[in-house]
Amino acid sequence: MSGVQTAGYLARRAAQKERVRILYRRALKDTLNWAVHRHLFYQDACDLREKFEANKHVEDLDTIDKMIAEGEATYNKWRHPDPYIVPWAPGGSKFTRNPEPPSGIEIVYDYGRD
Amino acid sequence: MAVRAAVLRHIRVPVQTLAVTASKPQSQWSSLRLFSSHDDHLTKEEVIDRVLDVVKSFPKVDPSKVTPDVHFQNDLGLDSLDNVEIVMALEEEFKLEIPDKEADKIDSCNLAIEYIYNHPLAG
Repeated sequence: MSGVQTAGYLARRAAQKERVRILYRRALKDTLNWAVHRHLFYQDACDLREKFEANKHVEDLDTIDKMIAEGEATYNKWRHPDPYIVPWAPGGSKFTRNPEPPSGIEIVYDYGRD
Repeated sequence: MAVRAAVLRHIRVPVQTLAVTASKPQSQWSSLRLFSSHDDHLTKEEVIDRVLDVVKSFPKVDPSKVTPDVHFQNDLGLDSLDNVEIVMALEEEFKLEIPDKEADKIDSCNLAIEYIYNHPLAG
């Protein structure tokens, strides 16, 4: 019985850790979106990290769940309306604009002049 | 046959000049700017170099410990949030957008190098 409980505990713990990592990742990216300059971003990133570190030693599972939910709500509330997207990624400025030509096709620059 | 062996015994291949000529075309290649985002595939060595540079310049990492098969949390003494930061730094270095679930799996230099080398749009 205790083995089942431990396994359940560990699974829940692992899921929570993954949620925290992904929340931190998204929040950090969003911090970069909000920061106009790099030197502003460093300070903001430090503050964000401190917020996460402050609750590092919380042990109670339900409290952790509640905190993660709060964190995700805050993240969703302050999400940047126009985030930076890598150009080739969906939504980026170069998305589908520069498709790869089929191999074996090349440009003949002196066509008709040789 | 005997002549060949005798000649070979006295010939020394200048290793250093060989290495220099071998590395030269690569440096010319890297100074060439290609205007299609699909033309410039990274070589494995370049990926390894740049990944290691990024990891070494992370403030909490001791640069002397960084090798291509180092594990971020087990070997470098980082925690999971540092891991997230390193992966984000790698994304910026290679102009990538890695999905959250996949980025979460990258936890060592080896995995990072493999992922970036196999990514068609890493630049």
